[in-house]
Amino acid sequence: MLKVESLTKSFGSLVAVDNVSFEVPAGQMVGIIGRSGAGKSTLLRMINRLTDASSGRVLCDDAFATEVDVCTLKGRRLRQWRARCAMVFQQFNLVPRLAVMTNVLMGRISYHPTVSTLLMMFSDADRALAIRALQRLDMVSHGLHRADELSGGQQQRVAIARALVQEPKILLADEPIASLDLRNATIVMDSLRRINQEDGITVISNLHLLQTARDYCDRIIGMRKGVIVFDGAPAQMSEAQAREIYGSGGQDNEEEVELALGATSTGH
Amino acid sequence: MTVRLADLTAADIAAERMRFPHMFSHSASQRLRQWLGWTIVAGLTLYCLYRFDFVSLGFLHGVSKFAAVVVAQLFPPTGFDNLPMFIKVMGETIAMAFIGTLLGAAFAFPLSFLASKNMTRSRPVQFGTRRFADLLRSFDYLIWALIFVRALGLGPLAGIMAIAIVETGTFIKLYSEAIENLDRKQIDGVTAAGGNGLQTIRFGVLPQVLPMMLSNTLYMFEHNVRSASILGIVGAGGIGFLLADRLRAYELQEACLIIMVLVVAVYAIDYLSKTLRERLIGDHRRREPVDDAVQV
Repeated sequence: MLKVESLTKSFGSLVAVDNVSFEVPAGQMVGIIGRSGAGKSTLLRMINRLTDASSGRVLCDDAFATEVDVCTLKGRRLRQWRARCAMVFQQFNLVPRLAVMTNVLMGRISYHPTVSTLLMMFSDADRALAIRALQRLDMVSHGLHRADELSGGQQQRVAIARALVQEPKILLADEPIASLDLRNATIVMDSLRRINQEDGITVISNLHLLQTARDYCDRIIGMRKGVIVFDGAPAQMSEAQAREIYGSGGQDNEEEVELALGATSTGH
Repeated sequence: MTVRLADLTAADIAAERMRFPHMFSHSASQRLRQWLGWTIVAGLTLYCLYRFDFVSLGFLHGVSKFAAVVVAQLFPPTGFDNLPMFIKVMGETIAMAFIGTLLGAAFAFPLSFLASKNMTRSRPVQFGTRRFADLLRSFDYLIWALIFVRALGLGPLAGIMAIAIVETGTFIKLYSEAIENLDRKQIDGVTAAGGNGLQTIRFGVLPQVLPMMLSNTLYMFEHNVRSASILGIVGAGGIGFLLADRLRAYELQEACLIIMVLVVAVYAIDYLSKTLRERLIGDHRRREPVDDAVQV
């Protein structure tokens, strides 16, 4: 169970995430939707602690023996939390010059002493685990290639493999398909869903398009200007609510709204 | 098939190892090459330490003597009457470095494109330019300064030419390396828009390489202020002449004042060029992605 309580992040006078609260039971797949700039990325980054919250708490009871407030973690415990709360990014964030296998093994570094990892001394068990993860994403044949030789979709699959070997409880995905074509987007979203269902890993994914969230998620959280404006099952969302999430009232971005709403408004 | 370490049995690991041996360890020949490489580096290091008497009592003794000489004979600095003159000559030294570096950069800029594999189709031209640059760099400033002192007479002009020549060689190498590390995609973008050779360089190449070139040039300017300070020893202008003169006359305390002027100048140049670099190149910190599609 992940509990976000009154989480707030302000950059100067701009409030990116404004007093956000929600709970995610273990094993759920949640899609966070909203326009660019709605605070979705900041929210995920605060949960993973890549960004520190201005105020509020993030409670998690299944990553450590007892329930912890993630926002207060430091040092080794913080790094352990990051490993258990894996993150996948829009731009994949692999290290381009390193081999795919090395990129995936990076998911194991928080489990070992610093010195041995700096010397790239990973155990056979780690390597076997990395191979399993790559097989899962159908990428094992590329194991010895450099990451920058791969296409975007392939890189994202490697990034998911890296997340998997972290043995996470939660997988955060920040616009995982926004840089991919339709076919690769489908492969990546299918993989996330499969990992969620087969491994019981909680998945929280930022998505730009409502239709993707409808197709893959158990639950949709809609954000607008840093505030949650919808939280419920996909079927519960009405056309009006969807428009509220994406619309700004002005006429100029009507096209953008239609695009984000996708199939829901094609007959409109 | 879940990905959990606890679920892996020894048999699983052995099976994966059989199927993908290269993902577990390098091949025997790769390991041999690595081992050989490290052995050569270690052997050479040990040999040099031994050959140049690093590992000896004499060395330890010399180090302690060096400390004694510095403390006893250099301090306190004297000759403050001459300070305005030292500062003026230091200014001349910096000016020499500045002009020398600028000339070197100006000569090297066009040549560096000729020396880049990805810009010059003709292999002989590219190779020839590279070797020409190597030739210019292969003698130290002092050697070039001696040659130019014979040709142009004593004075700063010889020093400036020495710096300009060596820097041309250095910049051709540094610039062309920056050019060879270009991201091809940006060039393709400009070419695809119908750009000709010069337009491609202007819009696809320069925005990428200019920060790198500028940073290299500023660094070499700092470096040349230090080089210019010793060129005076062979009569090619600058503060080195004064310093060598005081050292030869065993006026170590006055030499100490000159060294202090030098150190302060180098600090100042270092600080200035750092500030300049930040101003001109900007910091490369990633910003939060800005909302590009929907502007309120």
